[in-house]
Amino acid sequence: MTILEEPIKEVLTLRNYIGGQWVESKGELVDVVNPATCKLIARVPISTREEVDAAVEAAKEAFPDWRRTPPLARARCLFRLKELMEERFEELSRIQTMEHGKTIDESRGETRRGIENVEVPAGIPSLMMGYNLEDIAAGIDEYVIRQPLGVFGIIAPFNFPFMVPLWYAPYAVATGNCIVIKPSPHVPVSQVKLAELLDEAGFPPGVWNVVHGGATVASRMLEHPDIEGICFVGSTAVGRDIIYKKCGETGKRVIAQCGAKNFLLVMPDADIERTMAACMTSFYGNTGQRCLSGANLAVVGEGLSEQEYNTFYKRVVDAFVDAALKIRVGYGLDESVHIGPLQSKDRKERVLGFIKKGIEDGANLRLDGRDIQVVGDWPHTCFLNPTVFTDVTPDMTIGREEIFGPVASIMRARRFDEAVEMIHSNPYGNAASIFTSSGKWAREFQYRVQCGNIGINIGIAAPMAFFPFSGMKDSFFGTLHGQGGEAVRFFTESKVVIQRWF
Amino acid sequence: MSYKGGSETGQSNVTASAVISFAEKLEAESSRFYKALAERFEEKCKEIFPFFAEESDRNKKLITRTYQETISDALEACFSFESMNMNDYTFQTALTQETNLLEALYMAIELEEKAGKFYLDVAERSKSLLATIPHAFRKVAEKRNNRKIRLESLLESRSRRS
Repeated sequence: MTILEEPIKEVLTLRNYIGGQWVESKGELVDVVNPATCKLIARVPISTREEVDAAVEAAKEAFPDWRRTPPLARARCLFRLKELMEERFEELSRIQTMEHGKTIDESRGETRRGIENVEVPAGIPSLMMGYNLEDIAAGIDEYVIRQPLGVFGIIAPFNFPFMVPLWYAPYAVATGNCIVIKPSPHVPVSQVKLAELLDEAGFPPGVWNVVHGGATVASRMLEHPDIEGICFVGSTAVGRDIIYKKCGETGKRVIAQCGAKNFLLVMPDADIERTMAACMTSFYGNTGQRCLSGANLAVVGEGLSEQEYNTFYKRVVDAFVDAALKIRVGYGLDESVHIGPLQSKDRKERVLGFIKKGIEDGANLRLDGRDIQVVGDWPHTCFLNPTVFTDVTPDMTIGREEIFGPVASIMRARRFDEAVEMIHSNPYGNAASIFTSSGKWAREFQYRVQCGNIGINIGIAAPMAFFPFSGMKDSFFGTLHGQGGEAVRFFTESKVVIQRWF
Repeated sequence: MSYKGGSETGQSNVTASAVISFAEKLEAESSRFYKALAERFEEKCKEIFPFFAEESDRNKKLITRTYQETISDALEACFSFESMNMNDYTFQTALTQETNLLEALYMAIELEEKAGKFYLDVAERSKSLLATIPHAFRKVAEKRNNRKIRLESLLESRSRRS
């Protein structure tokens, strides 16, 4: 068992990063705990409304000069930031494992995704270009220019502490805006480590600010008159009923990427072996704490007789359970493990509640992850092994609601149409995947399914940085999405100019 | 009936992180080994051993950089390296005061055999990941195989002399 060295050796007391300075907060300090070892790794402040105001003021003050900085110069800050992130790649990754619990491979993957979201907006001179047309009337030309708006707020979730803010922040600053980020207080360390690189990367003070905290900080960001827009990732309850609603009331732009209940369809012609590898990552990667995680596996019997379908269903279930049984659970810095703990004891309790409900509702508990088996001598506080329910129906709680843990629900769908109807009857629309060898079913799936991120023989349909991170129905609120060209449009206004010279 | 969850710590389903760490250690140990041979047998093999040491340093950078540039949270990195037993690739590089050149060459050849097999095995199993990863492994496998050929040739010429 090889445990990689922990980069955090003493308990850190985190500070806010405001106007290019590290500022001690007046707010109460709360603990940041490594969920695998249950050891304290940091203390983070729950900042005050006044501290949010100070950060917004710093951003507002920095905006005029930053906005006048040529896009190429702004891009060079991002190029330098990328270099610094590559130099600190391993340290940044191990910190994510310590604060969140995910495995080192998952953390390195997250770091890479974060870097990709710095690389893409480094092309801002091209990405931000407008367009024009001469002689819209004789001697009169018309053109569109894209201009930044001012200050934006980013409210980050716990499940991807390093990557998610980077879906937005680099695009915001590349386009000439300034930002205030509120990391999750459960996993704030990696954002602090990133902010430590900003000065060396050449960002002027005030362009990129970090204010720690909880609901108080988020509320002040929502109501602050100088914040032009909010980027949020989190639950639908908060995203729809608080963030989206408040932004509508105050005229702020909004991206709210919210909850999910993702279906993976397995057709009779799927490559079962490769499908299982994809399913294990999808259902149990990041210990199921992902908005793109597989939640419901629908075994589809299109074209099969009843007997053939029962055989196929059993084959898929057996293969799924066999694969899940091989998953090793432990501390994410142990290179031999496949999944880490849930991020906190509370999150584990919530998942246990769902497992109990699944049993009560009559689903068959085929693999019980509550029988904890952990590699290494770690407290079991946050650990949960992979769980599999079979014969789940869409109306059961575990088939309908987001669990956000390592629980798979396997369902029967006699026909393709039935499976699509199951997907559509669910209020969420984040992602869906189909496993098939048939172009016909794949095309039918991508055409009809009302989900924003579609996978064809892909377990986690995670868009690359140069594509938008889509979402529909109760999984997304807003018009434009994070990442890629849509992020550039979100952070800029189109100004139309009509000119004539006498 | 409910099954017990989890599994024993086994030798199958090695993670990508473990494979990369092993590759890094393999190259680091190879570099150290060949530097030691270069010092000990400076007069006899002054071209080959320093070159191998330097090449191992470059191999390590290539593997690490390729992995860091292509690892993604969405790829099945945790579950790709099925049925691998890392014990199959152990090798001996400890030199004693009495180790002569012929014995050192035998050790080096065995090292290159084991290393080449390791890289070919992981290249085969990583085919489902981005193409740059198996390509990097195959490239290093080829280099290690070329080393083995050169070492065997050197062993043969030294054996004839003695």
